[in-house]
Amino acid sequence: MDLPVWIADYALPVAWITVQIVALVAPLMLAVAYLTVVERKLIGYMQLRVGPNRVGPRGWLQPIADGLKLLLKESIFPTQANKGVYIVAPLLSIGPALLAWAVIPFGPTYQTPFGEVTPVIAEVDVSLLFLLAVTSFGIYGVIMAGWAANSKYAIIGSMRAGAQMISYEIAMGFALIGVIMAANTLNIGEIVVAQSGGFWHWYFLPLLPLFVVFFISGVAETNRLPFDVSEGESEIVAGFHVEYAGMTFALFFLAEYANMILVSILTALLFLGGWHPPLPVAPFTWIPGPVWLLLKTALFLFFFLWFRATFPRFRYDQIMRLGWKVFIPVTLVWITVIGVANLTPLRAVFH
Amino acid sequence: MLESYLPILVFLAIALGVGVIALLLNFLVAPRNPDPEKLSPYESGFEAFEDARLRFDVRYYLVAILFIVFDLEIAFFFPWAVVLDELGATGFVAMAIFLGILVVGFIYEWKKGALEWE
Amino acid sequence: MAVTQAIFYLFATVLVVAALMVITARNPVHSVLFLVLSFVNGAGLFLLAGAEFLAFTLILVYVGAVMVLFLFVLMMLDINLQRMREGFLNYLPLGAVIAFVLVVEMGAMLAAGGSGAVVGGDGALGGTEAGNTTLLGRVLYDTYLLPFEVAALVLLVALVAAIALTLRHRPDVKKQDPGQQVRVRREDRVRLVDMPTEGAPYAPDTGATGSKGGEG
Repeated sequence: MDLPVWIADYALPVAWITVQIVALVAPLMLAVAYLTVVERKLIGYMQLRVGPNRVGPRGWLQPIADGLKLLLKESIFPTQANKGVYIVAPLLSIGPALLAWAVIPFGPTYQTPFGEVTPVIAEVDVSLLFLLAVTSFGIYGVIMAGWAANSKYAIIGSMRAGAQMISYEIAMGFALIGVIMAANTLNIGEIVVAQSGGFWHWYFLPLLPLFVVFFISGVAETNRLPFDVSEGESEIVAGFHVEYAGMTFALFFLAEYANMILVSILTALLFLGGWHPPLPVAPFTWIPGPVWLLLKTALFLFFFLWFRATFPRFRYDQIMRLGWKVFIPVTLVWITVIGVANLTPLRAVFH
Repeated sequence: MLESYLPILVFLAIALGVGVIALLLNFLVAPRNPDPEKLSPYESGFEAFEDARLRFDVRYYLVAILFIVFDLEIAFFFPWAVVLDELGATGFVAMAIFLGILVVGFIYEWKKGALEWE
Repeated sequence: MAVTQAIFYLFATVLVVAALMVITARNPVHSVLFLVLSFVNGAGLFLLAGAEFLAFTLILVYVGAVMVLFLFVLMMLDINLQRMREGFLNYLPLGAVIAFVLVVEMGAMLAAGGSGAVVGGDGALGGTEAGNTTLLGRVLYDTYLLPFEVAALVLLVALVAAIALTLRHRPDVKKQDPGQQVRVRREDRVRLVDMPTEGAPYAPDTGATGSKGGEG
């Protein structure tokens, strides 16, 4: 093989891809960092406190300080822990949480002098399927962390989290099937394009039950309040990551917040028209698509934090009941409704 | 088709790399003063007694089996939902029978109390 | 093409090594994790062969569901490793026979139609213009309708069997029935008792009006 050809064929594309990925991951990490500040500030205001306000102007340097502190703290490896699995577990948490972002489109296909450009890392045709496959790895980080630490709280937390995540994954999967039935594609970008037009074309109206089920299942999947029995600080301290400290803990933390943002952006893409403005007329169309997408994502992130400030923690039997006895029947009924409507003139509502 | 997966391969390496680098950095700069008390499993200040790997309720196992069944069902739904319009009424009936059979199973487990978390 | 070949051999090597680790690892949890690794590499091979849907379904179902069940089982049982290893040699003849049958079958497969490309094939469904999932959907609910419905029956059997094997009701457990909670009327819980006042009012000198005791 000729060296220059090799460089042009493989080295340059890979370098270009790496640049793209860094351009995605770096802002994502920053978003995660500032999500923690916003969370603490917001919940602070909801509880009539001010939240963090010491580090930097109005506390805005707080996440930098937190990150540095976690980096400089000792990572503990308990004597009874299974060392290999104990170290791999946080990697298996952060890995899928980042990899899932490879197929998230941030805007429509733009016509540029260099040809068509789509703001997405990997233009995979079955991106939704890829996303489901990758996110199904998240459970391994949780279960392995709990098992490897060899601590009672950790193992109880990981079993709870495991059973909860798989229960809500079913409801989430069925909700996605409704979306696919309406859009007839597994490509997230094409699903968004199928919702073009005003907000009445967005799927949250015809698929309202699925929209609600999807987002609440997303909250449960990320083990956020009110579904956080896996962490339950008042009973099992911190759940599956009770033994982790320093950077090993920080990786779980990053993964959890990256997953929150992922669920929010997915809900925005699949049900809220993604980058489409609410009305396809002048003042709305001036704002570029990606900005709309980020605004919608921020809305769902706000819901995440609002839930946390509002609801008390569910009991475990209530969580399982909601997943299996409420969400799954609701999604099955609505899939049937879409299926029947698809054979009648009503199908226009769903397409 | 394969070209579109190249970025994913690179991304996979970077995603794992981020974690590995973070851990390595921590390993380099953080202090390490292990002592037996610090490294013992946390049990709210008590001495840890008996092995932590306790037996769990068989119910967790049942949830996992039910999950496999429903996950497979979802996998069967994906291609159907994609070609829904091409298939027309035939496809609808095919899936209605499939779903009907599984709803029978779902009602069975519900009535049996398999969905109760006691 | 050379790169895809290289990636193929990478996946294949990791797959084989991981599979070997599955049967040699001392700790059953490590075995399961190596099995997960080999499934992931298997999915990579499917992807190289042009079977997108199969690749992701393999991960979704086997890694996302079946292996989780395995882990749950391993975490639930106190497995005595020493005792499990004792019977290892007893199963060797049976294992050897099964391995031999598998090797013969795979050889027959390769001999019959092994000339196709290992990577980048278009798959048996023909054509790539519509995407793997679409092509699968076109034949699965039409040509292969009967096997598809039989699959539903198999899943139903699995569901019933799992419940029959594992469902145990604990007798002395208290639980809530939310339906019943919602249906409760005030009359079931609260009884209003009308209590007439006895004797003179509480503050006789003011000449106050009758007592409110009856509200009670």
